[in-house]
Amino acid sequence: METLVPSGTDGPEARLAREIARSAAGEAREAEGQLYRLLAPRVRRYGLRHLRDGHAAADLVQQVLTLTIEQLRAGAVREPDRVLSFVLGTCRMTLMDQRRTDLRRQQLLERHAESISVADIHEAPRLDHQRVADCMDRLPERERSVLVLSFYDDQPSEAVGAQLGMSSGNVRVIRHRGLHKLRRCVQATGTPR
Amino acid sequence: VNPHAGHLSLELLLQDWLGETEPQVRDAIDTHLMACDACGALFDELLALGQGVREALRTGAVTMVASADLLARLAAQGMQVREYRLSHNGSVNCTLAPQDEVLAARMEAPLQGVRRLDLVHAISLAPGVEHRAEDVPFDPAAGELVVLTSVGRTRPLPAHTSELRLLAVEDGGNRELGRYTFHHQPWSG
Repeated sequence: METLVPSGTDGPEARLAREIARSAAGEAREAEGQLYRLLAPRVRRYGLRHLRDGHAAADLVQQVLTLTIEQLRAGAVREPDRVLSFVLGTCRMTLMDQRRTDLRRQQLLERHAESISVADIHEAPRLDHQRVADCMDRLPERERSVLVLSFYDDQPSEAVGAQLGMSSGNVRVIRHRGLHKLRRCVQATGTPR
Repeated sequence: VNPHAGHLSLELLLQDWLGETEPQVRDAIDTHLMACDACGALFDELLALGQGVREALRTGAVTMVASADLLARLAAQGMQVREYRLSHNGSVNCTLAPQDEVLAARMEAPLQGVRRLDLVHAISLAPGVEHRAEDVPFDPAAGELVVLTSVGRTRPLPAHTSELRLLAVEDGGNRELGRYTFHHQPWSG
C-alpha cells in the first residue's frame, strides 16, 4: 500500500516548520498560523477516525498542534522537515495518553493555549438531510436498506448481512454500488452547506 | 488504494470507518491522510454522507425495509417508535401521534425458500395505482418483514386504507405470500 503522498521535505508543511524552528520563539506568528491552518483538518480527521466524536477531535487538534508549535519554537523537533511524522506520532501518543488520563491535556492547554494564536478550525461539510433523503428514495431497495443499516451506528458488513439475510460479501458489493450512486446524486443536486 | 493515482478509494475509507480493515491498513490510512488533503476531502465527504443518512432516518424522511434490530436500537436511543405487528394476512387500525418519530410495520410472513421478494403498495387515496418495490431485502429466518414508513409523508395524510402485498418472484411468475391492510386515522388526541 502506498502510504504517503509525496510532500517530503519540500512541502509547505516542511517549509513552515523550518521557518518556525529557525526563528526566535514567537517571532514566526504568520508561519505558525499557516501551519496550524494546514494541519488542523488533518489532525481533526485523525481524531474523528479514532475518537468518533467531533468535540474530542477538536480538542485533539488544539492539543497536538499547540504541542507541535511549542516544540518547533523550542528547537525540540529534531527534523522540522519531517513535521508530518512528528504530528502523526504526537496524535498517536496523545490518544494513548488520553486513554490513561486527561490530566496531561488539561495541563498542556492551561500552559500554552493562550500563547498561541488559534486559527479557525476547519469543519467538515454538512449535507441537507432532505436532499440526502430524496437521493435515497431513488436507490434500489437493497441499496437503501444496506446504506441506512451501515451508517446508522456504523455497522460492518457482517452485522448488516445478519439482519438482512445476506452474506458479508454481498453487503459490501451492494454498499459500494449504493454509496457511489448516493454520492453522485447528492453532488448533482447541490453543494454541501 | 488506487495504486495508479496513489490515493485512497471511497470504499476503502468506508471499510476502515466501519472497522473492517486490519490494524496495519488503518495505520497506513492514518499516514496517508496526514499528508493528503485530496483524500482528506473524500473522507470528509464520506462522513457528510453518513451524517445525512442518519439525519434523514432520525427526521422520519425515509421509507425502507429495515430490521427488528434497527427498531430496537432506535428505541434504545430514545426515539419514539410506533410499531404495528401484523399476523400473516392481518389488518390493523393505525395512527401517528405528534411525538412519534418512527413508524414501523412488522408483518409475519412465510419467507422460507423465497429467493426474490417484491412489495406492492396500494393506497385508497389513489385508486388503481400501485407502487411496486422490487427485490426487497429480507431475512428468511426472521419470519417477518419490517418496513419503516416516512413519518413526514404519512403525517399530513387524511384517513385512508393502505394495502401491502408480498410477492415471491419465481420462475413461473409471482406467488402472493401475504396481504396486509392498514386502516389509518389521523391523530385525534
